[in-house]
Amino acid sequence: MELTKFLGYFSTVLLIINTVLYIKALHKSKAFMFFAFFLIISTIVQVSMSILGAILHLSNLYMVNVFLMLQFLLLSFFFKSLLKKNIILVFTALIIALLAYQYLQDLELFFRYNPIGIGITHSILVIYAISYLYQVLQKQKPKFLYVTIGLFLYLICNTLILASGNLVFNINISQEVYAILFRVNAVLYIIFQILIFIEWRKNYYKKIPKSL
Amino acid sequence: MEKELLQEDSQIIVIILIAILVLLLMAVALVLFFFFSRKKIIAAELEKANLALSYQKDLLHSTIETQEEERKRIAQDLHDAISAKLNVVSLSANVLIDGTLDKREQQQTLQHILSVTTRTLESSRRLAHNLLPPILENFGLQAAIEELCDEFISSKKVKVNYEIKYKDLLSKSNELHIFRIIQELLNNSVRHGKAENVILKIDDTNEQLDLEYVDNGDGFDTESVNKNKGIGLRNIESRVEILDGMLSYYSEIGNGVTFNISTKKT
Repeated sequence: MELTKFLGYFSTVLLIINTVLYIKALHKSKAFMFFAFFLIISTIVQVSMSILGAILHLSNLYMVNVFLMLQFLLLSFFFKSLLKKNIILVFTALIIALLAYQYLQDLELFFRYNPIGIGITHSILVIYAISYLYQVLQKQKPKFLYVTIGLFLYLICNTLILASGNLVFNINISQEVYAILFRVNAVLYIIFQILIFIEWRKNYYKKIPKSL
Repeated sequence: MEKELLQEDSQIIVIILIAILVLLLMAVALVLFFFFSRKKIIAAELEKANLALSYQKDLLHSTIETQEEERKRIAQDLHDAISAKLNVVSLSANVLIDGTLDKREQQQTLQHILSVTTRTLESSRRLAHNLLPPILENFGLQAAIEELCDEFISSKKVKVNYEIKYKDLLSKSNELHIFRIIQELLNNSVRHGKAENVILKIDDTNEQLDLEYVDNGDGFDTESVNKNKGIGLRNIESRVEILDGMLSYYSEIGNGVTFNISTKKT
């Protein structure tokens, strides 16, 4: 259990560092702004979930559901400004409508994992990421290359982990075994954060002293 | 822990872990594929850019070479046709000033000066004319080409059969390129090909200009000329390029040459 906690805290610290770094360079571009917002929201959710769950021992699962929606929204806008395709907005609207309908039908869903919603939103984000990789195949120095690769790797595996989240409620698995999944998730998240950091270091590091 | 993993219920977690591993492997493979393709594509683009650059360098070199050649020719012409003759005039004038000649000799010298000056004037006119024929400016491309062909005909070196239909399709600067190309072709036929007959056809539809040039001279080997082009041929090529036209030529040793050039309206 100690390892799980350590990985959790470590990834949170990395997330906070990245968020601070990205906030400092917020005005760079539209895509940059959306990504920075995504990091800010991630930090808020991560920290408040830790407080709710670990300290106050309250249920924090509904925050996961809200976060996943916000994540989908912000990353869709992020890819919209990278790919410059209006169809992304149509997809986003459709899927948000679908999710809203799903949650309105069954408010209890907020307190469980939503495998269908997770599957759909994550797959679409993965498709956006692949489209972007295809688009920058010829570019000399593409922006957000590392971020996109990180997102791609993380989202693909994260889909399966989150979608299987309800297993804890249904079958009799010990917390100890289930924690393996969370550790894998945390390791992937740490890789994702490191890639975000590399992106900042490669593209924005030198520019910051000038603006200070 | 291992015991727990072997429990029936925990099996599902193992399956999920394996699935995650497989997914991760595939995703990493895709990312690697992306990076390798990217490397290849960028290398190919770089090569393409280098090729274009070296071609441009080549073009620049040949332009400079042509310019130098032209300067040499003009210098030679000025020296032969003007300086040398003016020297004669100046010498004769000096003799006249000395006043050692009798009346008849003076008359003769003056006559000589007059004839030399007339010839020099004619030479300088021809020189200027060769550099930029005034007829092209004043009467257009058709008249200029006809005059050019007539000049070659009257030099008795070559027989030129021409058939020119042209109606202000090109801009003034592009007309000059066409004129220069024909000039170059005729010069080459006479100088290198030793041709006796030349056929020149220019046809002007509303959209494009077609030029066909055939001579019966010595011809050249198109294979070897591709590797090592003379200035004349490179000059024609770059002019056609400026015109954004199409150039094709065919030749065999001993069988003359055929040039086809077509260019769109400008």
